[in-house]
Amino acid sequence: MTSAATTAYHATAPDPSGAARGRRRSFGPWPWILPAGIGILFVFGYSLVDLLQQSFKYRGTWVGLDNFRLVVTDPLFQTAIFHNALLLFTVPILVALALLFAILLFETRRGMRFYQSAVFLPYLLPIPVVGVVFGQLLQLNGALNLGLRALGLQSFALDWLGDPNQALVTMSAIIIWKEVGFGTILILARLISLPTELLEAAQIDGAGFFKKHLKITTPQLRSVILFYAINEAIVMVSWVFNYVYVMTNGQGGPGDATMVSELYIYRSAFQNQAPELAAAAAVLLLISTLFFIIGFFKVQSRSQSGIFDE
Amino acid sequence: MKRRGIAGAIICASAILITSLTSAGATAVTPSKATFPTGPVKLVMWWWGEQEAPGAKLWLADTIKAYKVKHPNVTIQTVLQTTDGLVPAFAAAAAAKKGPDLQYFWGGIYAQQPGWDGQIAAVSDYIPAKELAHYINASTEESFQGKIWTAPWYVNPSFPVVARKDVLSKYGLSVPMTWKELLNACDVLSAKGVTTLAGGIKDGWFGGWLYSIIGAQSVTSSKDVVAAVVGKQKFTDPIHAAWWTRLQETQSHGCWNKDINSLQLYQAQQLWVSGKAAMTVVAGPDTPNFVAKVGASKVVVMPMPKWGTGAFAGKLGTTSQTIGITKWSKYPQVAADFITFSHQTAQLNNWFAKTGSMPADDRFNIAGVKDPVKKALFTSVLSGGPYLENFIPAQLDTDAVFTNAQLVLKGTRTGAQAAANMQSVMERLRMTDRNLVKNFTAWAK
Repeated sequence: MTSAATTAYHATAPDPSGAARGRRRSFGPWPWILPAGIGILFVFGYSLVDLLQQSFKYRGTWVGLDNFRLVVTDPLFQTAIFHNALLLFTVPILVALALLFAILLFETRRGMRFYQSAVFLPYLLPIPVVGVVFGQLLQLNGALNLGLRALGLQSFALDWLGDPNQALVTMSAIIIWKEVGFGTILILARLISLPTELLEAAQIDGAGFFKKHLKITTPQLRSVILFYAINEAIVMVSWVFNYVYVMTNGQGGPGDATMVSELYIYRSAFQNQAPELAAAAAVLLLISTLFFIIGFFKVQSRSQSGIFDE
Repeated sequence: MKRRGIAGAIICASAILITSLTSAGATAVTPSKATFPTGPVKLVMWWWGEQEAPGAKLWLADTIKAYKVKHPNVTIQTVLQTTDGLVPAFAAAAAAKKGPDLQYFWGGIYAQQPGWDGQIAAVSDYIPAKELAHYINASTEESFQGKIWTAPWYVNPSFPVVARKDVLSKYGLSVPMTWKELLNACDVLSAKGVTTLAGGIKDGWFGGWLYSIIGAQSVTSSKDVVAAVVGKQKFTDPIHAAWWTRLQETQSHGCWNKDINSLQLYQAQQLWVSGKAAMTVVAGPDTPNFVAKVGASKVVVMPMPKWGTGAFAGKLGTTSQTIGITKWSKYPQVAADFITFSHQTAQLNNWFAKTGSMPADDRFNIAGVKDPVKKALFTSVLSGGPYLENFIPAQLDTDAVFTNAQLVLKGTRTGAQAAANMQSVMERLRMTDRNLVKNFTAWAK
């Protein structure tokens, strides 16, 4: 607990060699941060200001909140937001699976590296590749259904991406398959670095597999799990565009079954030639994402103040 | 710490969300009618069409080569676009006012909208009217208040149904020419596990085709469609809504391949080629190629079976795929000269030789075409019906026609529900696109 506390102490403690030197030290990090800060401010600050301006205008004329009103009352946008919200339900599933895989890998003595690679590989694959492959695989007469029919499991051979009642669930499953590797490796890395004394003591006391990991391991992984959960929540709210675009040919179909807010923004801006509506929707998405990002920073700041060392 | 966290959060969120929405503020270049430049000139052409007119790429290479002989100082670089990327790529280029000098556009609204949005210069500003008068469909689809936005390149008879006599006769059926006959064929063939009509609607485009070839049978002209767009008629009125019911009938009679929602447009057509389906709908320029794959003796090329009593029932539609000149092009007069060059007799004949389809120019000698299928198609486009999809806002097409067609063909939405949804999307569009009514009204005049 104390690396952060020590740092804080250095920043504020009186310097025995003089006040001027102390002041110089307090400005220490800024010259290093400034160039990158200016770059970020220029690239994203400019875009942000431009985006905000666009969201209040129509063809250069100030329209107040009109674009926001049109977006918020658009049934398609409402559907898109609803789908993003539904995708958030995949986060607990992702966390549970990642935790389970990490623990299993941790407990695996032989072939751990192979299994690690196997679990992490989907995360490394480019999303367009994943989209195209699954798009083919999951056709009504695709390889998966042909296999199921060959096994006599006709009733399980669904129109995975072609049925509006099925498409979003299928999409979620693909996202989980792709994203779970990241969480597994993240949690596993933390797991390996945990002190082993507690686990050994619990084993000597007769704790079984589930009790050991439920009562001892998992609590110690709290911050890394939280970090992963927030990261995935951000993914579900604002990073699923690639999956949807590739697997539905940019349509968000069938019907509007897989429409998500990013695709709505993209289509408004580049397909429907309505950049103002796209800007208003982007501002709304930005605000909703902010909640998660603030949470992300809080977790980060807590980890810096020692939570990772709990 | 909290403030720093929030500031960092804002920056990160910006990074995630905004990069694709930046806009450039350069001023559009006003087209000049300067003399033909003698210094080095480079034109960039973004095009599409190889997908429906195979051989177009070869023709383009030949034409550019021939133009280079005439104007050695002009270099033309071509970039082939994807179907899904054609409109968004140009929209991004237009936002940045940077990109192609020559841009491919589908006809009608796809050429009108960039004109209304100030993204292209009217070709009629650079090409004489007597030359443009030869370009097929220029005045019906590309004209706006005396201007012609884009120059027709090749004609798309839209859209022929190809029927396999061999597959139909195997089950005791003849080629269905009326709606009743079509539904009967669907009943017979679906009972045998055979697909009557092959289609792929995952990418949506087929919905627009179906709207045009089924929907055209009940309207009196494209002005009816524009009237529904601007609110003088409704898409729930019988002449606009009846086609949805017909589409639902095809679904309930089992006309289509069951995987229609998981196949793309061009993928599904292969079911017909392989004999797994009796009929399909193909792009006009590509029709001769499909006929050749199966054998002319086994195929009948026809319009969609007739159900309506409108003037266009039992007729093919006609539209031209076009080339426009971007507003930011430094050499619009060179671009226009290249377009004119591509309409010279040698280039028109070479287009036919390379693609087997018809160039959009009435100076092309149809009488010289020997193949009866091609000849019939080419003749039909000179008096074809309107291609409806080109007379509605592109967003209505994607948000209502594509989506509802997917749902109706899946059986999860009725025709009446689809019509009501199309009307409600249209009403909403009139609010979101504040210039829509004005532009469409002016176009219809």
